[in-house]
Amino acid sequence: MKKSYLIKRIIYAFFIFLIVMTLNFFIPRIGVVDPAERYYPPQGNMTEIEYEIIKQFTREQYGFDVSNFQQYLNYVSGLFQGDLGTSFRSGNPKVSQLIGERLPWTLVLSVTNLLISLFIGLIIGTIAAWKRGRWQDTTLLNLSTISMALPAFFIALILSFYFGFELEWFPAYTNPNMVAQFDWSWEAIRVVMYNAALPIVSMSIGGIIGYGQGTRNAVIAVTNEDFILTARAKGLSRNQVIFKHTLRNAMLPIVTSLGMSISGLIGGAVIIEQIFNWNGMGTLFLEANNTNDYPLMMGIMLFMSAFAIVANLVTELFYSLLDPRVTVGERR
Amino acid sequence: MSDLMLKLRNLKVVFPAGEGVIRAVEGIDLDIAKGECVALVGESGCGKSVTSLAIMKLLNSPPALVRVDELKLDDEELKDYSDGKMQELRGQQLSMIFQDAMTALNPVMTIGRQIDEIYIRHNNLSRKEARKLTVKALDLVGVPEAKSRANSFPHQLSGGMRQRVLIAMAFACMPKLIIADEPTTALDVTIQAQVLNVLSDMQKKHNVSLLLITHDLSVVANMADTIYVMYAGKIVEKAIKRDLFLKPRHPYTEGLLGSVPRLSDEHHHFIQIPDAVPHPMFKPTGCYFHPRCSYCTDKCKESMPPLAKDVGGREYRCWHPLNLGGGAKDGK
Repeated sequence: MKKSYLIKRIIYAFFIFLIVMTLNFFIPRIGVVDPAERYYPPQGNMTEIEYEIIKQFTREQYGFDVSNFQQYLNYVSGLFQGDLGTSFRSGNPKVSQLIGERLPWTLVLSVTNLLISLFIGLIIGTIAAWKRGRWQDTTLLNLSTISMALPAFFIALILSFYFGFELEWFPAYTNPNMVAQFDWSWEAIRVVMYNAALPIVSMSIGGIIGYGQGTRNAVIAVTNEDFILTARAKGLSRNQVIFKHTLRNAMLPIVTSLGMSISGLIGGAVIIEQIFNWNGMGTLFLEANNTNDYPLMMGIMLFMSAFAIVANLVTELFYSLLDPRVTVGERR
Repeated sequence: MSDLMLKLRNLKVVFPAGEGVIRAVEGIDLDIAKGECVALVGESGCGKSVTSLAIMKLLNSPPALVRVDELKLDDEELKDYSDGKMQELRGQQLSMIFQDAMTALNPVMTIGRQIDEIYIRHNNLSRKEARKLTVKALDLVGVPEAKSRANSFPHQLSGGMRQRVLIAMAFACMPKLIIADEPTTALDVTIQAQVLNVLSDMQKKHNVSLLLITHDLSVVANMADTIYVMYAGKIVEKAIKRDLFLKPRHPYTEGLLGSVPRLSDEHHHFIQIPDAVPHPMFKPTGCYFHPRCSYCTDKCKESMPPLAKDVGGREYRCWHPLNLGGGAKDGK
């Protein structure tokens, strides 16, 4: 029963991937007159015939000279051989190579942010639920109202201005040599942490408060459940009730939102990366967008989608381990 | 030593609510003899469940304000006990069966572990030893294949089985007093009978005192020895079962009995009680029942009748009691 559930979920996820892959291929082609023209805009000193030749050459080089359907087949067969396509940028690097270079730098920001948000959020959420209605709780509530109105990029701007330009405690712009000189030495790691401090703090303020409020609500919702009364009627101590009965059940909605955060780990920080000049996936995507680099855009989109699909799959399987009621479509 | 298992004197429970207060329970007395089954009957909202939680000292305070003159369990005064001391008693000497077994059991824990907890807590047993007792307890309440069923989750059991699990929990340590709060309301009629039989058998076999809280007089007719009728936070009548069913003194009791269908009397019409229980914040003046009473006089509208004592420990709270004998006052 458990095994069939697993297989069912995997097939389902794969099916979604096929749909995303197809959409990802066709959407950039809707309305585009000629990718070659976008790639190579007409120059003033060129004759019509010269330009035609150049465009034809470009089409052949990037495989745009065949029908859309044939292109799709080529794209799919490339994908299943692990080829995300070739970028338009000079030197024609592979898309997968570009992603591979930038991904770790994005993960440094987003994974650290998620861990900090989750860890501190869980603690202050539990405290707020415990001290329901007292100042700890109302402070969290007020903070979460404020943070709703303060997007992360706004906090980032303030932090970069104040701590970066005014006080000069942290770099307002990431040192471009950081990536090139990274060699896993302690010094290099220290430099990365120093540069990452402001972006991570600006991202995690909202995250901490969000997870804190979510945890607080989940814990309080479970506290009002009948089975908590049963547990108390059995004579269990306060700690036993909280750790064995309340928190385990309160984890369920938190795991759901954790899954959503994980799917956003790769693409969630475009603006923050821009503000701090951080060379990650978000910057890469903006570069691709500004240079009409379709293969790169498609590659990044597909990679992010695939990551989100896998993250959701893992979350769902993990959830079914935590909550025995969720198995083969038998929900109650 | 008295032969009273529970002696409750002048219990008052008040909930502050916005601008007013909700007087959920207004000074009730309750006596339960050893091995006796006492029923507390009334419509929803009359304060039955609050009374039961107050005896368990499980009401959260705040918001609830509880005052009691005497709360004696087997001559042990509980009214000043700390929560820590109550935790020792709960589950061991005083336990409770809740209404809806679906919500009263922790959905993410096997039923076996939920019962194990009681033995681990009160008998200082290892998990393995506790499980042996758990299987025995499940066996006693008629759960088939108790050993493997103990590893089921609540949602995998039928409603009747879940209720049996709750009964097994309540009887786990053979407490002195068990409070059953509407133990069969959530069940089908056929299953109700089975579960009541189990409960009744267990109570008689182990000579446990039982406080049965219900709105269902057919349940009372089968099990209870003494019956308290509660209305809007006050006891309106107390009598042994036979007296109450044959010669109710209070018009409300008469109304409750009249609402039960009878096959023996073909001309029987339901005597229905008009309207509903008054809102606990806006109780009427005088006798709380007077707006719904067909025997109401001016006196009833002005002052609350005292609790009158009658032969055989009967008590009633009415200016115009019924069935007093002599025929003069017998029901209209």
